[in-house]
Amino acid sequence: MTITRRTLLATAALSAAMLFGARELPAQTVLNVVTAGDQNMVDYVNEFLGPRFEAENPGVRVQAAGTGPGDAGSRKIYEKLKAQADSGAEVWDVDVAVVHQKMAGQLVQEGLLAAYRDEVETGRLATRDTVRNALGVNVEGYVMPMFHSQIAIAYNPDVVPNPPKSYAELAEWVKENPRAFGYNGIKGGMSGVGFVMGWVYAFSPLGDKLFTGPFDEADVKLIEDALAGLKDFNQNVTFTPGNAGTLDALNRGEIFMGPVWVDMFYTWMADGRMNPNTRLTLIAPGLPGQPMYYVLPKKAAQPELAKKFIAFATSPAIQAEGIVKRFNWYPGIDAEHVKPYLSEADWNKLFVDVTPEDLKAYGKPFPITPYFNAILEAYERVAG
Amino acid sequence: MSAWPAEPAHGAARRVEAAPGLRLAALGERLLPLVLVAPALATVLLFFVYPLSYSIYDAVFEDGRWTWANFEKALALYGPDILLTLATVLLSLALIAVLAVAIGGYLTLGEHPGAVALLRWLYRWPLFIPFIVTAQMMRTFLAKNGMLNHALIGLGLYTPLEAPSLLDWRGVVVAFVWKQTPFVTLLVAGAMASLDRGYVEAARNLGAGRLRILVEILVPLVRQTLFVGLVLSFVIMLSVLSVPMMIVAGQPTLITVDMAFRITAYGDYGVANALGTISYLMTGVVAWLYLRYAVARAGRS
Repeated sequence: MTITRRTLLATAALSAAMLFGARELPAQTVLNVVTAGDQNMVDYVNEFLGPRFEAENPGVRVQAAGTGPGDAGSRKIYEKLKAQADSGAEVWDVDVAVVHQKMAGQLVQEGLLAAYRDEVETGRLATRDTVRNALGVNVEGYVMPMFHSQIAIAYNPDVVPNPPKSYAELAEWVKENPRAFGYNGIKGGMSGVGFVMGWVYAFSPLGDKLFTGPFDEADVKLIEDALAGLKDFNQNVTFTPGNAGTLDALNRGEIFMGPVWVDMFYTWMADGRMNPNTRLTLIAPGLPGQPMYYVLPKKAAQPELAKKFIAFATSPAIQAEGIVKRFNWYPGIDAEHVKPYLSEADWNKLFVDVTPEDLKAYGKPFPITPYFNAILEAYERVAG
Repeated sequence: MSAWPAEPAHGAARRVEAAPGLRLAALGERLLPLVLVAPALATVLLFFVYPLSYSIYDAVFEDGRWTWANFEKALALYGPDILLTLATVLLSLALIAVLAVAIGGYLTLGEHPGAVALLRWLYRWPLFIPFIVTAQMMRTFLAKNGMLNHALIGLGLYTPLEAPSLLDWRGVVVAFVWKQTPFVTLLVAGAMASLDRGYVEAARNLGAGRLRILVEILVPLVRQTLFVGLVLSFVIMLSVLSVPMMIVAGQPTLITVDMAFRITAYGDYGVANALGTISYLMTGVVAWLYLRYAVARAGRS
């Protein structure tokens, strides 16, 4: 009986100690970061950014979730925020979101984001056009680029010593080398979509109107005319299943050339998953690239902490170590702020094949949203 | 006498007290089935009937007005894909039926116990592999320089340059057949095993070969089970997104990919729901055929 009472007392004391002890611990603040994009985006937050931010901010836990690749992933974030806005919720459960350009514009237009760029100290370090313009929508103040990426043509120089330098040359090359060029159409990822956009840049007379607008319904005919040539071109190409499918097909020697995302290409190369001889080239008049944006939902639960997180993520040291060195992306903030934090070798790694001059000349944005959609639908009608 | 008025009153009071109890019990008995069925009914209404109705509504109404525009667009842009979807699934079903009957038949009629045991152990494996894993395997297996072609080139059937890539509708058929055959076989082999062996023995005594016994005795006896397995497989295959998404390169493709594309590329739920409704119609026709068959059979028995 005594033992039982002692045991009871000890248990009660232990419980009390645990209870009060737990109360003395600092309360943990959770920062919810939701990111669109491939798994490497979630890995970047979970494995690189989160632990470093938590170390600098005791009591904070960064909780990352991925919503999936491509615009579909960004759309899920939009739908979540829209549902919370429509339900009248006072506090939303996303503190920081990472979205593609197309959806960033829509989020701003529908008033789902907070303007924050002027309030973070790194805001002035990003000055590219993408900070203000997301596919024709003014996003000034609402976004900070996490990184920029670019679509380029990967080729096997053992088989193609002199790759085409323009879309026109590529079209000729494909006629002479049927099925040696591969891409993933428009339903298998953005590298194929980007290649189709580049085709319209090359063969339609619309030029910069595709980037500046205004959209004119009559231009759809011009787009269809440009894409009629792509239908013939498609007869002589190999279609690949997805962005990774193009890289796989290059590796297996099924194709000798195809459009890929530059960062994905370098990551595969670094992992030893690519033939090390494979090279990249940007062809005239250019291929599109795009940034991913950090955005702050209007009713984020932790707006101040979110701003601190974005400032941290876009600081030159983190951009150098994480974005450039580890993940092979082009930096989100201006390159001159990042370069001092990297060795010459690490910096040059990004620009071996595609030089800064190439990027300047042939690195294009995607078209504004109405032209973007019009090109996709025209492709389905004419070239699909 | 004095007790009489009290007693009936007392008895009446008891009856009055008992009556609500009885009524409650009777009410409870009547309500009990409804209460028991309510969770299942609510689930069906909430997660099936509501989304289905909403999806059809969204396909035919835009801004509150009736329109065929979504269907017109779906047919104009994806007409070939709708036909390809139907053809791919029907071809897969035909192959599944043949293979399921062949495997089930061998399990029932096979005379080599070792081979029967091995086949019984082996054929079920794909049941436990999800569609997305199947798609990933087939993507490597069926590619131009994939394992299948390497084996065929090794056998001298064709040269590396002639090797075709099966990453199109043919790859989808291979994946569907590989994944769904064990499911139908499981049902068919079970039905065959439960048949009276007397039919088989009698046929054998009269000199029938194994193929004849399979085609003329076993298959007619298990055809209802086979039909059920095929109907379920039809519905499952029609709804798979991962396989065509990962295997089919370029156009044409299956309509599940088009539905996903309408939503992710354009945020266009109208046309996606129109394609969904077309998909419901396909499964609806099969369900109707199945019900007609089941009712006719119930009527006979």
